[in-house]
Amino acid sequence: MKLLVIEDDRTVGQYVKRGLLEAGFQVDLVVDGAEGLRVASEGHYDVVVLDLRLPTLEGREVLRTLRDRGNPVPVLVLTAQDTVDFKVQALRMGADDYVTKPFALEELLARVEALGRRPKAITPPVLRVADLVLDTGSREVRRGGSSIELTPKEYAVLEYLMRHPGRVMPRTLITEYAWDYHFDPGTNIVDVVITRLRKKIDHGRAPKLIHTVRGVGYVVKA
Amino acid sequence: METIRGRLTAWYATALALALTGFVVALYLSQRHASYQELDRRIASEADLTAGILAGVSRAGGAVVQRDPAGRPELVSELTATLEAVPDFLMITDSLGQVLFASSRTQLIFEQFEQLRRLILEAGGRRTEGTVQVIAGGPTFRYVVRPFGDVVPVGGAVLAGARLESVELGLRPLLSTFLLTLPLGILAAYVLGWWLAFRAVEPVDRITTEVREITDGRSLHRRLPVPLVKDEVGRLADTLNQMLNRLERSFGALRRFTADASHELKTPLTVLRTGVERAITTPRLPQEALAPLEEALQEINRMTELVDTLLTLARADEGTAPLHREAVDLKKLVEETRETGELLAEEAGVTMSVAAPASPVVVAVDASRIRQLVLNLLTNAVKYTPSGGRVTLWLEQEDGAVKLGVSDTGIGIAAGDLPHIFDRFWRADSARTRTSERPGAGLGLAICKWIAEAHGGTIEVQSRSGRGTTFTVTLPAASVAHPTVIDSSR
Repeated sequence: MKLLVIEDDRTVGQYVKRGLLEAGFQVDLVVDGAEGLRVASEGHYDVVVLDLRLPTLEGREVLRTLRDRGNPVPVLVLTAQDTVDFKVQALRMGADDYVTKPFALEELLARVEALGRRPKAITPPVLRVADLVLDTGSREVRRGGSSIELTPKEYAVLEYLMRHPGRVMPRTLITEYAWDYHFDPGTNIVDVVITRLRKKIDHGRAPKLIHTVRGVGYVVKA
Repeated sequence: METIRGRLTAWYATALALALTGFVVALYLSQRHASYQELDRRIASEADLTAGILAGVSRAGGAVVQRDPAGRPELVSELTATLEAVPDFLMITDSLGQVLFASSRTQLIFEQFEQLRRLILEAGGRRTEGTVQVIAGGPTFRYVVRPFGDVVPVGGAVLAGARLESVELGLRPLLSTFLLTLPLGILAAYVLGWWLAFRAVEPVDRITTEVREITDGRSLHRRLPVPLVKDEVGRLADTLNQMLNRLERSFGALRRFTADASHELKTPLTVLRTGVERAITTPRLPQEALAPLEEALQEINRMTELVDTLLTLARADEGTAPLHREAVDLKKLVEETRETGELLAEEAGVTMSVAAPASPVVVAVDASRIRQLVLNLLTNAVKYTPSGGRVTLWLEQEDGAVKLGVSDTGIGIAAGDLPHIFDRFWRADSARTRTSERPGAGLGLAICKWIAEAHGGTIEVQSRSGRGTTFTVTLPAASVAHPTVIDSSR
């Protein structure tokens, strides 16, 4: 899948580009509005990631011109403005979705994937770690054949950890995934969810699958 | 009505009424005084004239006195006829006090007659004058006595008198004119005062109306019309306009700041965030490297929250923080936040419960803002409730209002702190904050207050130190009737 990132801040642009490359996308980066409009009009991109504040040509002008020319390419807007009316305005101008700065890479990837209608095969619907199975379609969780009932937050935390098996996931990223990206509970309620998950998944079973990495977060591995 | 116009009218009317009354009273009194002097002059000249006539007749050798059939002395008939023509009362006595003549036109009872005769005797040949009331409640007489002893053989004196009632009677038309015109004058003064006050205050009223229409950042460009004449009102309008200029400038600066700050603060945060995030998700990174990165990520998130909240409050001050209202079932929203509340409570060793009505409670609100409000209140309640306590999230529907609140059995808020808890950056003394926890920025309740008020509602707090705290958010339920999507700002 081919993406175009139009972002004037080179550091942000580079990070976004690298993050997207690592997720398996082809990425072109442009740092200027007029240039971005030219490239977006000529190249055939699956998704355009557009910063709204750009030199030479404002992001919203790029968007409007693209739409005026009948270009239907899905556009994901990056904005520092978090007000709802601004978002509504961006959507009315023809954006397909938006991400508010500063954004979690996970969130950006999820939205880019959704816009690009990436085939589901890349993220398998059923996640497995040892004998723990999580079906993202039916939201069912089983271990060793027996079904496990999870609350919405328990499910979200487990799903996030199982999407990255063997990798240490920081508490902050887990919280962001399971809750709103802008909810700071002030305490580590992820720890409470993990305690509950352990009772349901690891209690009386071997091997233990949920491991604590002190001061950082958690990892699911066999 | 307590208005300047009312007071001006009252003052003006009172002043004018007092002046008018004083003038009328003075006029009446001086008129009365003049009338009395006139009366005195008249009777004095009548007495002098009579004495003169008697002296003239006597000097010419004519008879002055004759005897009546009973042998008593009386004035000669010719003189009697002449003196009867005098309009006031005349009485003439001889040197012995015998009455030679008394005007028959003035009807006198015996006591009055005798009293007047005594007055002549008491004068004893001197010129006197005075006022006498013979019997209580009877008529009062003004009189003069003029002796003529040396020129008329019989001697004696003339008394001329008149009833004072005649003066009062003569003044009566004047009095009734005054009594009629005075209330009319006062009424006119009141009406005139009202009109004058209206003229004086009306420009101020106009300015008030126009200033009132300038409600927030969007109407600040408006200016008051300045009258050509630089009177007090003109200067007031000028001053207000200058103030509006300054306000508009500072609002403009704030608007530019909020827009710039969004960008200037958030772009570096984005750089930090994406950098740390990439580093932290690098596979096989040692734990010693991971822990500080996780801490950095947490701090970046706190910073982001703080920037968001500050910008929201800045926009709220300016009147441009928007709400995206749509029909929301608050019961469902409460149920959705239940698990987060339970998790927060469990971490703090607190029991959490939810009390909501059985049926949906649909109102037109900004769901994400209300969720933020509920989570803020829950986080706050759990934070200040010691282990073993209880936190309740409740929702009630009343006539015309929806009440949403969080109650706890926590440490409560000192009475002296209550008025300040919704202030920005306000923080109770350290005793309130658990030492194990990082204090928040002190903006949580300030943003709660804004959210409640932006929805046309209120937020209230009841608390007893050591017994617990209840925050109650009241939202108008009128919006239930229109569960369509409404874009509105405050």
